[in-house]
Amino acid sequence: MRKYALSLFVLLAAPPALAGIPAEQEDCLGCHSDPTQTFDLPSGEKLPLFVDQEKFAKSVHGEALRCTDCHTDKTSDHATGKLEFRTRREVTIKYYEQCKGCHFANYTKTLDGVHYAVMSKGNKAAALCVDCHGAHDISHPGQPRTRISQSCGRCHQKEAAIYAQSVHGRASETNPDVPVCTDCHRAHDTTDPRDGALAMRTPELCGRCHGDEKLMKRYNLSTSVVSTYLSDFHGMSASFQRGQKKADGKRLAAVCTDCHGVHDIQKADDPQSKVMSANLQRTCAKCHQGASASFPRAWLSHYEPSMEKAPLVWLVQLFYRFMIPFMVGGLLLQIALHLWRVVVNR
Amino acid sequence: MTDLAKTYVVRFTLQQRIEHFVTMAVFALLCLTGLPQKFYQATWAHSLIELFGGIDRTRWIHRFCGVVLAVSTVVHFANASLTMLSKKIGFTMVPDRRDFEDAVLQLKFYLGMTDKHPHYDRYDYKQKFEYWGLVFGNVIMVVTGFILFFPVQFASLVPGQIIPAAKVAHSNEGLMAFFVITIWHIFNAHLNPDVFPFDGSMFTGKISRERMVHEHPLELARMEGRPAEDHGGHLPPNAPGREVG
Repeated sequence: MRKYALSLFVLLAAPPALAGIPAEQEDCLGCHSDPTQTFDLPSGEKLPLFVDQEKFAKSVHGEALRCTDCHTDKTSDHATGKLEFRTRREVTIKYYEQCKGCHFANYTKTLDGVHYAVMSKGNKAAALCVDCHGAHDISHPGQPRTRISQSCGRCHQKEAAIYAQSVHGRASETNPDVPVCTDCHRAHDTTDPRDGALAMRTPELCGRCHGDEKLMKRYNLSTSVVSTYLSDFHGMSASFQRGQKKADGKRLAAVCTDCHGVHDIQKADDPQSKVMSANLQRTCAKCHQGASASFPRAWLSHYEPSMEKAPLVWLVQLFYRFMIPFMVGGLLLQIALHLWRVVVNR
Repeated sequence: MTDLAKTYVVRFTLQQRIEHFVTMAVFALLCLTGLPQKFYQATWAHSLIELFGGIDRTRWIHRFCGVVLAVSTVVHFANASLTMLSKKIGFTMVPDRRDFEDAVLQLKFYLGMTDKHPHYDRYDYKQKFEYWGLVFGNVIMVVTGFILFFPVQFASLVPGQIIPAAKVAHSNEGLMAFFVITIWHIFNAHLNPDVFPFDGSMFTGKISRERMVHEHPLELARMEGRPAEDHGGHLPPNAPGREVG
């Protein structure tokens, strides 16, 4: 209801030059439109007091919010020359709660996220709403999608640089299918990858895309990577270790990232790839100390056993496919005959 | 006339009973710790693994039982070879032509094609089949089990593909052994109308004379130094009763 009232108000009262911004903003902008205007904080930082009207008008909130919707404590006489803040960061942190009023679900999610956890332990640099979304210039965060990884990269520079070189990162500029940071790490309830819980979830995480028939067909990739992994020793073990944490010192089954890498994943035929055949022995040896040159052959490289790929495995499988029903059927038949004779002879 | 059902004959030595008990216990544990690894997607598999204290603990229990089974197999064969070499017992477990004839006759009897029921010696063809099935099964399980226990060491000796092949063999052979025991052995030792509900001879070492008359007449005759009575079944060429009657 308020939205309609507001739109009506805008239509009737806004002067043409400032279409899109509620007229009452002018009260605030009367002071906050001087680009050079700053406030000296005790830390020595200068807090800019300028609000770029054009930018705000173009932001997602431009037509919806008034200044005081977020700056709820500001009255017309707040320019007293005094501020309770010592640093610019304190100002940002103070406004963390302001988004909650409308974006309650996402705000609540952040309370489960690693950034909030780190912040509450005293790290003031941990990301808050505005660090990722911006303040007066908020726009849709995933348009274009590459913006997401760029936002994270502002703080996580090392990881962003490695990701940018990976098969996913290189394609992310032009391809909407590849994962960006939040696809694995999530956006608001961002998981802390350091405790190793996220690693144990990678078969499921990577499987979301790599098990998607339609998606993988576009890149001529096989979706049996997930099923072959799960049916082998590592995948089977990992499925029993679901929910555990792959923290330092704890030896759990190898998951996707143990062989393929994390942010540095490359195509399997890339010489840089950890799973490229020439590099595989070294990758296996990370866990299997002393792995010989023939040891990687123990892994069928995500192929289903077949006459071409693994004849021995395929033949053993075939043997039992016939042997088990033959054996069990034969024994059951004899038992049935035995009981039948007992009944007949009675 | 003596009550046959209350007269007992010693059938198994203490050592044989202990061997059976050990095999039974480790086999059960091997199934309980092994099958959930094969059926890792099932809910019961997860509950069972949890019961054993997680997949790593489960695997150590499995490996321990596997080693016990391997050792008991070796001990059994060493013992059997020594006893046989010292001629204390005959080759009672070795299958011969008669077992095939017995099997054919028994099946004909089941099908109602004959009234003749084969007369068995110490072990009938079903018992020999199960025994040798267990022996060969054990060899396959122990060898493939050790390959899976020490994959790195084996891969430096044999082609790497042997390892996944061993895994397929171990998992399928194990399932087959489970079926053979749960279907065949449980039937013969428990559900078979002759012994229902429970054939205790493997635990007490004793068997009633009545059952011996029905199930192992040839052995009983030999034990008592008399010719076997002809109940309609055929006699082997070298059976104790052959020369006399």
